[in-house]
Amino acid sequence: MAQPQLQQPNAAPGIDQSGASPSFREWTQGRTGRRAFLFVILAFGLCFPFIFPNEGIIDAAANALAFAILALGLNIVVGFAGLLDLGYAAFFAIGAYAYGIFASHQVQPEWWGFWEPFQWLGFVQHIEEAGGPGTVHLTVSFWLMLPISAIIAALFGVLFGAPTLRLKGDYLAIVTLGFGEIVPIVARNTPYLTNGAMGLNGVSSPSLFGYDFGIKSTPFFYLGLALAALLVFVSIRLKDSRIGRAWLAIREDEIAAEAMGVNRVKLKLLAFATGAGFAGVTGTFYVAKLQTATPEMFTFPVSVMLLVMIVLGGIGSVAGVVLGALLLQLLQSWFLQDLTQWIHAFGNFTGIEFFQKLDLVQSIELIFGVILVLMMRFRRQGLIPERAAVSALSHAQQTVVPARGAIQNALAPLRRRAIDPNKALLEIRGLKKSFGGIQAVRGIDLDVMPGSIVGIIGPNGSGKTTFFNLITGLTRPEGGKVLLAGEDVTGLPPHRIVERGIARTFQNLRLFANMSLMENALVGAHTRTSTGAIGAVLRTPHVRREEESSRARVLEVISIFGNRLMPRIQHLAKTLSYANRRRLEIARALVSEPVLLLLDEPTAGMNPTETLELTDQIRHLRDRGVTVLMIEHKLAVVNEIADKVIVLDYGEKIAEGTPREVHSNKEVLRAYLGRSTDEIAKAAAAS
Amino acid sequence: MSSWEILLQQVINGVSLGAMYSLLALGFTMVYGIIELINFAHFNVFMVGSFIALWVMHALGFFGQSDVLYGLPLVGVLLFVLIVTMLGTGLLGAVIERYGLRALRNVSGTAPMITTIGISYILYNLILLGVSAETINYANPMPPVRWEIGGVVLRLREVLLWAVSILLMLALHYFVRRTKMGKAMQATAQDQEAARMMGVDVDRVVLITFFLGSALAGAAGFIFGLYYNYTNFAIGYTAGLRAFTAAVLGGIGNLPGAMLGGVLIGLIESLGGQYLEVRWTDVIIFSILVLVLVFRPTGLLGRAAPTKS
Repeated sequence: MAQPQLQQPNAAPGIDQSGASPSFREWTQGRTGRRAFLFVILAFGLCFPFIFPNEGIIDAAANALAFAILALGLNIVVGFAGLLDLGYAAFFAIGAYAYGIFASHQVQPEWWGFWEPFQWLGFVQHIEEAGGPGTVHLTVSFWLMLPISAIIAALFGVLFGAPTLRLKGDYLAIVTLGFGEIVPIVARNTPYLTNGAMGLNGVSSPSLFGYDFGIKSTPFFYLGLALAALLVFVSIRLKDSRIGRAWLAIREDEIAAEAMGVNRVKLKLLAFATGAGFAGVTGTFYVAKLQTATPEMFTFPVSVMLLVMIVLGGIGSVAGVVLGALLLQLLQSWFLQDLTQWIHAFGNFTGIEFFQKLDLVQSIELIFGVILVLMMRFRRQGLIPERAAVSALSHAQQTVVPARGAIQNALAPLRRRAIDPNKALLEIRGLKKSFGGIQAVRGIDLDVMPGSIVGIIGPNGSGKTTFFNLITGLTRPEGGKVLLAGEDVTGLPPHRIVERGIARTFQNLRLFANMSLMENALVGAHTRTSTGAIGAVLRTPHVRREEESSRARVLEVISIFGNRLMPRIQHLAKTLSYANRRRLEIARALVSEPVLLLLDEPTAGMNPTETLELTDQIRHLRDRGVTVLMIEHKLAVVNEIADKVIVLDYGEKIAEGTPREVHSNKEVLRAYLGRSTDEIAKAAAAS
Repeated sequence: MSSWEILLQQVINGVSLGAMYSLLALGFTMVYGIIELINFAHFNVFMVGSFIALWVMHALGFFGQSDVLYGLPLVGVLLFVLIVTMLGTGLLGAVIERYGLRALRNVSGTAPMITTIGISYILYNLILLGVSAETINYANPMPPVRWEIGGVVLRLREVLLWAVSILLMLALHYFVRRTKMGKAMQATAQDQEAARMMGVDVDRVVLITFFLGSALAGAAGFIFGLYYNYTNFAIGYTAGLRAFTAAVLGGIGNLPGAMLGGVLIGLIESLGGQYLEVRWTDVIIFSILVLVLVFRPTGLLGRAAPTKS
């Protein structure tokens, strides 16, 4: 493919890179810089036990790592997918009890033949008893239980996430709060399994190649470091992948994500299960380290503390979350104790009783509450924001003469499917929908031939947008059929409809505000790509190729708009001008390789020049094989490019034909210029 | 007691608890109805309410359950405590809205909810650190008057509690249905933008909603203390979760729904405690929450489904 203008995605096209030496922050964002930075941190971690050769400090550091892993897991749920989980400690508990039960003397069934194969596998030991069959001692390996605990916790995550995932995200908060409440209750009330409030005892410590971890802190520290490093890696890989972008899209705008092909129920469950899995691993690690588990270790304050960690560090920011977790541990273990001693000294010096008695260590939870409120009020992005600021465009770039983007021949994806040119691409028969007593759409029929541009006009409230919502599955029709190239797509969920090849834009613009232009457009590729969570983490050659081709396609599509979007490709969508947002929505829809593109007032908010430019571009799209159905108020645009116009009024199609025919239609004139009151009365009497 | 008498007795207990949950659920449902926010601070506004009432009674010289009053003085004292408590928690709620949440009104995502959790946690820890972690014996000037009908015991405090709850709910109903501010609240709940354009001062409506909801939570906190004869810093969590379940059960955003849901949750608690085991009560109530969300997210009397659109 000859594409001279195609630029490499990583080169941040058009962004001024001629500046002086980069700041530290910029350097850490570069690929080499980031790797070097991570390497230094890891090296510091590896040397930590030698720098601080003190059991107490190493033990505290190992605990800090455990909480960092938990925070990373919670960040996937809260930070990536935007679902507030207030009972995250419950999954921690499930992971802890899973290992605790399978590797302690708590459950001791009577020995019989059934256990022999397990004994052979090393999962159980036979404890001989004089005069009896003896009992079973469960001794499942720690290393085996790490992944098993993750899976068990993930299953519980799916089980309890599922009821609320179709509802507004808030409900998940309350259900998880309840779940976080009942898991410790269940643990307390089932002493057979958990030894109730007394807690599990004698949980086996892990051993590796004959080396028993016992109660030594250093091996647990290294294990924690390895797990944390692994999960940081997993988080980073996931975030910058098809899956991660779909999560962010859901967080930013569920409806738009669904309309761009993201199956939100499935992806929310995946986020919930992944987060729970992280907690399961940590639970197993933690209980092996403490060698006990009591219900009180997993109550609400733990969940809140984790939330504070990610809020402090930066919701959605992997580095921020780790920093937040470490800071809070430092705060609790050292800083507050020292500060309290200083305050006491100050109190003794001045003789003020309040300062003599003040104990900051005890008020840690109060401090947590204050951190939550202040961070949400004054620094929602946290200490290390998820996104660093992108350097602004130079004056020259901002004032450059807009290039009229011609569509390159290489816009391959738009001709993806063989379409019979003689049959209607979209057939709509008797489509109906009412809201309460108002019939928004009453039995509309429409045929759209492939390769045509059909305009829909009509007064405000005439049902145009509802009509679009019915076609794209955002609203379920009450009657009628929608056929795409002969296939019935009526009532399919939006993401299935995108898959079939209908993409849309929104009248009120639904971009993913806190994602870059590139990421916004890449979400459009969701249905045309297949990378799953595991693929995203492993980043196999197939995944790499898929990612590269998606990025290349985005650049190809964005180049339609000449130099309007290209220089801003790494910017956040919320920084765009209104007209550019409209362009980006169109680009995002095009990346999904639609055969039919639905545009809801594409030129709204554009000046006459820009309108002309877009009109031209829409026509070019049609020439490249995209069929366009567009709602448009600017009649000049419709007259110019539409092959056919339909007019809606009060949810009915009152006219259909070429723009010229429609303009002379009496019904249309009446709808636009107003009905007389007796006509309305007549219509009301008739209905 | 025959089994029927036990049942009836538990129904009486359940309705009493239910009255308390209803008052608490109303606050959740009002705030949710207006600004679609689950207000976790409500949990501990309730808890603070039980302390304010206790402090007022201490200030009036009532400690424990031995100083009793009869007749008009009793009604006067209870009413005074109730009004001061409701004003106190109402103001607390208004302050939370004005200085904690208003700045985040138009912030989408989880930020407002996280703020309410933070505020809730601050209240919880202020009482924990400022008062104590111990359970405190409640003051109660009501005489132990009781009537026995068959084997069923009806105590004075239950009758008074029902009366107060019913009066408060009727007053709220009247306020929302009949007054100008109530109509503004309904309009804001329907469509904030349209209400604003019709001249409704939305900020004021939200503030008053928080005030009223929190005042009712204060009343519920007072009732909690009178009913159980104790309070502590941790009562907000369980009671709040149950009351929220009540609000969802009745249909979130729906005022009569919250009342109905509250009574049902109260009955489930008392009957569950009688016929099943007390330690599983929360598990049962939580299961109800999940089942309602799965099978009837609009609740028993709900209006629109709480899905995003």
